[in-house]
Amino acid sequence: MIKIESLSKAFGEKSVITNLNLEIPKNNVTVLLGPNGSGKTTLLNMISGLLPPDRGRIYINNHLVNGDKKGTKTVNVKPFERKIGYVFQSVSLFPHMKIYDNIAYGLKSLHLSKAEIKTRTINMLEFVDLTDFAQTYPNQLSGGQQQRAAIARSLVTEPQLLLLDEPISAVDPQHIETFRLDLKKYLQTLKITTLYVTHNLNEAFMMADNIAILGNGHIEQTGNPTEIFNTPKSTFVANFLGFNIFKAKAVKEQNGYLIVKVKNIPLLAMLDLNLTEKNIILTIKPEDLTISTEKQTNHKSNNNLLGTITEIEQTLSTTQFTIDVGFPIKAKTTTTATKNLGVTIGDRVYVSFSSEVLNVFLEK
Amino acid sequence: MIYTPNRQLQQNKQSKISQLADKTVFTFFILIVAIYVIFLALPLVSIFLEFDLTQISLHLQTPEVIDAIKLSLYTSLIATCVSIFLAVPTGYFLATRKFYGKAIIDTLFDLPLVLPPAVAGIALLYTFAPRGLLGPLFNSLGITISGYTIAVVIAETFVASPFLIRAVKIGFENQNRTLHDSAKILTGSRLRVFFTISLPLAMRAIISGTVMTWARAMGEFGATLMFAGNLPRITQTMPLAIYNMLYTDTASGLMLAIILISISFAVIIIVKLLEQKRYGEHK
Repeated sequence: MIKIESLSKAFGEKSVITNLNLEIPKNNVTVLLGPNGSGKTTLLNMISGLLPPDRGRIYINNHLVNGDKKGTKTVNVKPFERKIGYVFQSVSLFPHMKIYDNIAYGLKSLHLSKAEIKTRTINMLEFVDLTDFAQTYPNQLSGGQQQRAAIARSLVTEPQLLLLDEPISAVDPQHIETFRLDLKKYLQTLKITTLYVTHNLNEAFMMADNIAILGNGHIEQTGNPTEIFNTPKSTFVANFLGFNIFKAKAVKEQNGYLIVKVKNIPLLAMLDLNLTEKNIILTIKPEDLTISTEKQTNHKSNNNLLGTITEIEQTLSTTQFTIDVGFPIKAKTTTTATKNLGVTIGDRVYVSFSSEVLNVFLEK
Repeated sequence: MIYTPNRQLQQNKQSKISQLADKTVFTFFILIVAIYVIFLALPLVSIFLEFDLTQISLHLQTPEVIDAIKLSLYTSLIATCVSIFLAVPTGYFLATRKFYGKAIIDTLFDLPLVLPPAVAGIALLYTFAPRGLLGPLFNSLGITISGYTIAVVIAETFVASPFLIRAVKIGFENQNRTLHDSAKILTGSRLRVFFTISLPLAMRAIISGTVMTWARAMGEFGATLMFAGNLPRITQTMPLAIYNMLYTDTASGLMLAIILISISFAVIIIVKLLEQKRYGEHK
C-alpha cells in the first residue's frame, strides 16, 4: 500500500500540490484523474523519487521514502531503491539499445545470474507479445509497440508499485483500442499495485478499480468508478465530469422528498433534513435526463420540466441538448434516440429525471 | 466582382508583369548562387589543374614533404588525443552542471574559435617562451618549449580543442531528460547511467567533434608559425611546408595542398554521415 500524507510542492511562487493526502490500495489499479496541468505528473515524480517534495510524507509498503523520521534528518530514498516501475508519457526507451537490452537493463542492477536475466527478459518479451522484435531498435517499432516495450521494461524487475503516466498518449490513433485492451489485460493478470495517471474519463472508467480525482493541488474525491461517475462530491469534480451544476436553496420536506428551488423553480430531491433552509449545490449528469415531446407519466421520473431547445451539439454517438427550462440544462442522448425524437432548436420538450439522480451537497 | 472584357485584359496584363518580375528575381538568385559556387570551387580546381597527378609518387619521395606529412600526422594526433582528454570531461561538466561563473568559462572556451591564429601564437609565445609568463618555471626545470615539436602540439591543441568542447557540450545537452529519469529508476549506479546512457548518446557528437578537431589541428598555420617556428622536421607541419615551398618547389607544395583538401572533404563527409545515421540502420 502507498500512503501519502500532507504532501506539498511549489515551483517558485506557483504551488502545484498543496497538502495532498492519498492512499493507494495494494494489488489494485488506482487511476489518478485530473485536468491537464493539475499536477498529476508532479505527484508521480515525487512518488518515484525523481522530484523531492517541499513537505509531507510518502510511504511505500509502510516504508518511509520521503519525509521526516523522528529524531533524524529528512528521508529521501533514491528512485532505484524505491523498487518501482515508471512508464513515462513520452516513450522513453533507450534509442541506442535493442528492445531486448532495453528490457534487460533494470535486471542487470539486481545481482541476478545471467541465466535468470535471460529467462525473465524472454518471458517478458513474450508477455507483451514482442518476441519477434527482441533484436530491433526502438525507432523501428510503432508507438504502441514502443510503449508495450516500455511497460515490459518497468514490469520485468517486479516492482512494488507501477506508475503509468498517460501511457496511451504515445500510441498512434489507429492502435489505441488494441493497446487499451492489452494494457487492461496486463494489469488484470499481474495484480500489481498501480497508479495510473490520465485526464481521459473513458480510459479511467475502463482501467480503474479506484479513482482519485486531483484538482486544486489536492485529492478532491476518491471512490470506485461507479461512485465517482454518478455522485460527484464537489463542484470541481462535477464540472470535470461534465455534470450540470446549479446553485439552489433547500426549502422543506414534502411527501418524503426534499423540495429544492433553482431560480424559484421547484425540484424534488431525496430527503435530507440537515439541508433544509440551506444554500446547496445540485449536480446532475446530462445522460440521466430524458427528453420527450410528451409529459412522462412514469412515476420514477418525478421531476418534469418544460423548456425550449436552445442548442444541439452532435458527435458520432451522442447528442447534447441545451434546454432552457427557466435556467439552461444540458441533456445527453444517443444519436439514435435523437433521430427517433425528431426535434430541433426552438422546439418545446419535457426534461424528466428521478430524484435519485439529483446530487445534493452543501455550498462551501 | 464583375468581369468585363476590359478588366480581364487588364488582369492578364498585370499577371504577365508579375510573372516577368518573378522570372527576373529568380534569374538573379541563380546568378548569385552560381557566382558564389564558382568563387568557392575555382581555387580548389585550380590546384588540381596546376598539379600533374602522374607525378605524385615522385613528390612523395621529396624528404621535406615526407617530414612535413609525418610531423603533421604525429602532432595532430597527439593534439587530438590531448583534446579528447581535456574536452570530453569539461564538455560533460559544462553541459550537466550549473555553477557561478559558468557563462564566463563558456565564453572563454569559445574564444579560440574566433581568435586570429597569429594572436593565439603570440599569446602562447608570451606564456611559454623563455622570457614569457611561465618561462622562469620551465627554465628552472631545464625545458624549452618554443621552437620544439611540443610547441606545435600546444598550438594545435589551443586552437583546435574548443571545437571538441563545443561538440561534446551539445552532445550531452541535447539528451532527453526522460531517458535519464528512466535509467535512474532502473539502476542505482550513476556511473552505469553515464557509461550506458549519457556517453553512448553523446558518442556521435564526440566523434564528429573529434574529427573536426583533428582536421583543424592538421590545418593549423598561424599559431604554429608564431609560437613554434618553421624548422624542417621539428616544427614544419604541412601548411608551413606549403608556405616554404611556394617559390622553391611549387609542385610538392601543391601535392601537400591536395592531401589537405582531401582530408577536409573526408571530414565533412564523415560528419554528415554521423548526423544522418539512425540507430539500427546499416546492420
